[in-house]
Amino acid sequence: MSEQLLEATSADTWREGPLPSRLPEGFEVPVGAGPRRRVSAFRRRHSVRSATAKAVYDDARAPERGFPVATSGQAAGFLGGLLNTRRATLGWAIGLNVAAAGAGLVAPLLLGRLIDDVTAGALGRSGLTTTVGIIAGVIVLQALLTFGARRASAVLGYDLLAAAREEVVRIVLRLPLGHVESSGSGDLLTRITSDVSKMAAAARWAFPNLIVSVVLIGATIAAMVVNSWVLTLPMLGTAVIMFFGGRYYLSRATAGYITESASYSVINSTTTETVEGARTVEALGLGRQRVAQLDEDTELSAQAERYTMTLRNMLFAMVDSSFQLPLVGVVLLGVWGHSQGWVSIGQITTAALYVSQLQGPLDRVIAVLDHLQLGIVATARLIGVAQLEDDRTPGEAEPEGVKLTGNGLRFGYRDGVDVLHGVDVDLRPGERLAIVGPSGSGKSTLGRLVAGINRPRVGDVTVGGVDVMDLPLDRLRTEVALVTQEHHVFVGTVRDNVVLARETSASDAEVQQALVTVGAWGWVSKLPGGLDAELGHGKATLTPAQAQQVALARLIIADPHTLVLDEATSLIDPSSARHLEGSMAALLEGRAVIAIAHRLHTAHDADRIAVVDGGRIVELGDHHELLELDGQYAHLWRTWRD
Amino acid sequence: MLAPHRARHDFPPAIPADSRPDVRTPSRFLFWLIRSYGWVVPAMTLAAATWLIPAAFTPWLLGRAIDAGVSGGVEASLGWVAGLLGVIVVGVVGGIGFHTFAVRMWLLGIYGIQRRVSRQAVHLGHVLNRRVPTGEVLSVSSSDSDQFGATIDAFGHVIAAAISFLLASVLMLTTSPSLGAVVLIAVPLLMTASTPVLRPLTRAQSAERTESSTLTSLASDIATGLRILRGVGGERTFAGNYERQSQKVRALGVRLGTWQAVVEAISILLSGLLLVALVHLGSLQLLDGTLGVGELISFFGYAVFLTSPMQTFFDFAQKWVQGLVAAGKTITLLGAESPWAPAPRQLGPAPVLHDEASGVTVRPGRMLGVVSEDPDASAALADRLGRYLPEGAPENSGEDELKGRARRRARRERLAERERRAREDAEIAARPWGVSADGVDYSQLDVADLRRRVVVSHTGAILFSGTLQGAVDPWGTHTREQAERALEVASAEDIYASLADGWQGRIDEKGRGLSGGQRQRIVLARALLNDPDVLVLVEPTSAVDAHTEARIAERLVRYREGRTTVVVTASPLLLRRCDEIAVLVDGREVARGHHDDLHDHPDYRRVIARGMEDSDE
Repeated sequence: MSEQLLEATSADTWREGPLPSRLPEGFEVPVGAGPRRRVSAFRRRHSVRSATAKAVYDDARAPERGFPVATSGQAAGFLGGLLNTRRATLGWAIGLNVAAAGAGLVAPLLLGRLIDDVTAGALGRSGLTTTVGIIAGVIVLQALLTFGARRASAVLGYDLLAAAREEVVRIVLRLPLGHVESSGSGDLLTRITSDVSKMAAAARWAFPNLIVSVVLIGATIAAMVVNSWVLTLPMLGTAVIMFFGGRYYLSRATAGYITESASYSVINSTTTETVEGARTVEALGLGRQRVAQLDEDTELSAQAERYTMTLRNMLFAMVDSSFQLPLVGVVLLGVWGHSQGWVSIGQITTAALYVSQLQGPLDRVIAVLDHLQLGIVATARLIGVAQLEDDRTPGEAEPEGVKLTGNGLRFGYRDGVDVLHGVDVDLRPGERLAIVGPSGSGKSTLGRLVAGINRPRVGDVTVGGVDVMDLPLDRLRTEVALVTQEHHVFVGTVRDNVVLARETSASDAEVQQALVTVGAWGWVSKLPGGLDAELGHGKATLTPAQAQQVALARLIIADPHTLVLDEATSLIDPSSARHLEGSMAALLEGRAVIAIAHRLHTAHDADRIAVVDGGRIVELGDHHELLELDGQYAHLWRTWRD
Repeated sequence: MLAPHRARHDFPPAIPADSRPDVRTPSRFLFWLIRSYGWVVPAMTLAAATWLIPAAFTPWLLGRAIDAGVSGGVEASLGWVAGLLGVIVVGVVGGIGFHTFAVRMWLLGIYGIQRRVSRQAVHLGHVLNRRVPTGEVLSVSSSDSDQFGATIDAFGHVIAAAISFLLASVLMLTTSPSLGAVVLIAVPLLMTASTPVLRPLTRAQSAERTESSTLTSLASDIATGLRILRGVGGERTFAGNYERQSQKVRALGVRLGTWQAVVEAISILLSGLLLVALVHLGSLQLLDGTLGVGELISFFGYAVFLTSPMQTFFDFAQKWVQGLVAAGKTITLLGAESPWAPAPRQLGPAPVLHDEASGVTVRPGRMLGVVSEDPDASAALADRLGRYLPEGAPENSGEDELKGRARRRARRERLAERERRAREDAEIAARPWGVSADGVDYSQLDVADLRRRVVVSHTGAILFSGTLQGAVDPWGTHTREQAERALEVASAEDIYASLADGWQGRIDEKGRGLSGGQRQRIVLARALLNDPDVLVLVEPTSAVDAHTEARIAERLVRYREGRTTVVVTASPLLLRRCDEIAVLVDGREVARGHHDDLHDHPDYRRVIARGMEDSDE
């Protein structure tokens, strides 16, 4: 079947000629042209970059592959919900910030009054000292309130972040089993590391600073109006420029920064592959291609950087002028007002001080909104994971007995392309059934359906008369388990690594017994701390054979009556396989086993052998029966033995 | 490839083949880097000066404008206001210029280092993995390259800040010598006074960073092991472990936030008190009539303005030290030399290869199976035939966790160890290799030519991300028919069928998402398409099922007919197709012959028939 597909579509999907450039057209820089052409070329480049950024952003919001992404509204709702349960902390943070901002505004006001009094000759030397003392007191108060305000903001930000990331991990740990098994870990890994750190930046830095800046801006403008409403008028210009400039920038910046950081991930993964695969590159003479690929990655990244650089330059031009020009306005208005007699020098001084105080928060508010937008996008990607629907519907029915049966199983990973075309399988209690067949025949898929990982499109798998897809996951794990022998050792104690299936009920004695059974107690008892010894991430590292023993001990603790063994990855390392035969035998003892066998001696030892080809069971029987049948299995066996 | 060609001083920079960084010392490297940017760093410094210097005039002009306006009316102040406007415009333009040049300098550094790292990785090949741990190479490429930008940015910044600081001082001293002196003495004093709180802040920062990275590794641990957590169980345990660490990071974060609040409160306090002192002194002078109102207002401005250049000086000192550390790591990577000396001779058209250590001879045009009870011995033979140094990653010294002197010593030891390894590699490469081609020892052959002619596909061969077409034909030089044939021989048609877009189907990084058997078959197809004169395959089908393996064996023999092929394997399905088989015991060849001849040889039987002894009927 697959050979035919290759014949049928190969010509359509094969690309002739050299690899096309990933850089879109339109980046040419006219050399030696006049300023007008150069400007129009620059505008064209900017719009191409803008389009590229938008495409990357859209893909981040609605990826073609991998996990779904939530909407910004859902992300904001999620964060809003977390804030809602922290009203008291939020109240403190806002209250203290308002107080600190208020205190910060009193000093310039007093300074202005002071100058007025001095120039008017209304203040003697002793009066001067008193006023200066009051101002000093206000500044001390402002420092204390600022400390309280910043600390309260940090408490809120870190608390919010901790709650959000813990919820994300809980969401990940609820992912439907079928989806976990079929998708690679790459997408999830990116989300749980880089998206969490973007969310962290937003929660820890941007959110508290937003409160600080907004409060400061509001309070300063209010104070300016109190000081002199006329001298506040130049700030209207600031507001207009900031509004339009900020809107232009913010509506583009998120896409720009997402594109930029995506371009660096591409560079990193190209470099990682080149470095880790340095020998492969050398052996196959791929140096030129690897260097060319990285050079192109950096070209693409440079375009993303140029885009955000232009955006920032536009923003700087607007923001810098918008908060420096009011100073000119204040001076002009102030001097004129002074000559007319309705503004005092003190008011001018105060207004000038306020204007310069506004620069910081105004500058920051844009940066903060930038990070908040990135944080919302990251949060949307994180909680999007929760949108996967579980295809398992736990019911009440209790299995009677341990008999495992599959009826008329049909299944495909893609619509319209079935991998299994109606398979019946019937496992007798305690029996060993080997499944053999060429790759792509559907034998691993059959294993996954039988283990209750995927729901068959047609047909059902029952254990003790109950559909495996109706069993709660906790229960299913004690009935049938899929052994892929992926020897992942978790960061945690030995006990954490073994108890998995019965984390709430297994005693230390049971854990120890499981380790004894697989022959691992010898080395575990020698570790400092025994069951409490920490494994992984800079702690004790295990050999591949020890890691596999731990994996087997997990299954002894789970104690399912039926095991589905997928040998696909188990016997890659022949030297450790030899040590593990005993551990494996201890696990299999007394259980029914479906072994997806790569090696013929495994099949030979089984009670029955099923040969799967093209999504169907084509031969079924014990070793001798199949040899007599003289079909595929018999042919293979002879090739191997003779 | 139609990438627009870029000049040397535009990012990403072109890397001329003959350009070599100065790797003698970290500081020489930093200066080499600055020189390599050409006019960019001077232009950046100039732009920074244009941006900062006008700001030095702003408070002065503001005061003058107010004074003039108060005494002479609006018309009198107009000149000063125009000056203020001009200064603001120049400053804004300077700021944009500085940003533009700084970004260019920054990116010239990042992309330049990244491009050099990839060239160095390709230049050193497998030797790289013996010299520098992968993590360190990646950190040079991704974070050290960024550090250089920060360091040189601070370098340009500090020069401009020094100029504007001097200018502001002159303006202040000419306005009022006494107030000027107070500001000039108080500002640096206050900055230094606030440094003691910076130390606990730095400590809190690094504690938070360390525990955060542990938290991230717990999260990625959960993502990587999710199949097990959802398949076998353990969700509560690991969610609990994550939550505990998350709460620990939260507590450390609050501590960090508290110290940041302390620093901010202190800076408000100190600059506020300076302002109060100025007001007091200034008001007294105002009462005496020795100072104008506007002049006093300018001093308020300077008290605020001067903290920024001072900050820049402190910043620069810190960034330069960080830059030297990054440079130290970068020069060990970029300065590593390839051990292979140029050699004049090339391989003959159909060479007879002979390995002295094992006594194995590879005859041209035949398929030789190699069987060994110890899989490492036969893999080592394959490495020798391909002229590869034995694998061995350098240890990570863990010096990041050390402090002060212990850390410096650990770094010295690591560098000494690296140098020793480099010398050892060069010695091994220079002396006779122990494998000869047509009687000529490998050490007299050109390595590049040897790599082209003798290809070893080892068990650690990786797939590169891209399309299926790119994975099978990474050179992009083969025809569709050739690629189809290679795919067919490797029995990998089902992988083609399982990908949605056929040849354009996505292959993820390092082939993640494919099963071990699928990866192995694509690697095999790629090696076959390469079609070298001598092909050495190490365990090419160890993760493939017997049905498929039998099919591959049959097709492989036909495909490689008349070409020299060595297959290191214990699989009888492959071995029985070989023209002859060498049996290794303790790394030496003890028997040679066809599968049928060796059938009763005890050593041969022991290796290939493992697991079969008890099953004889």
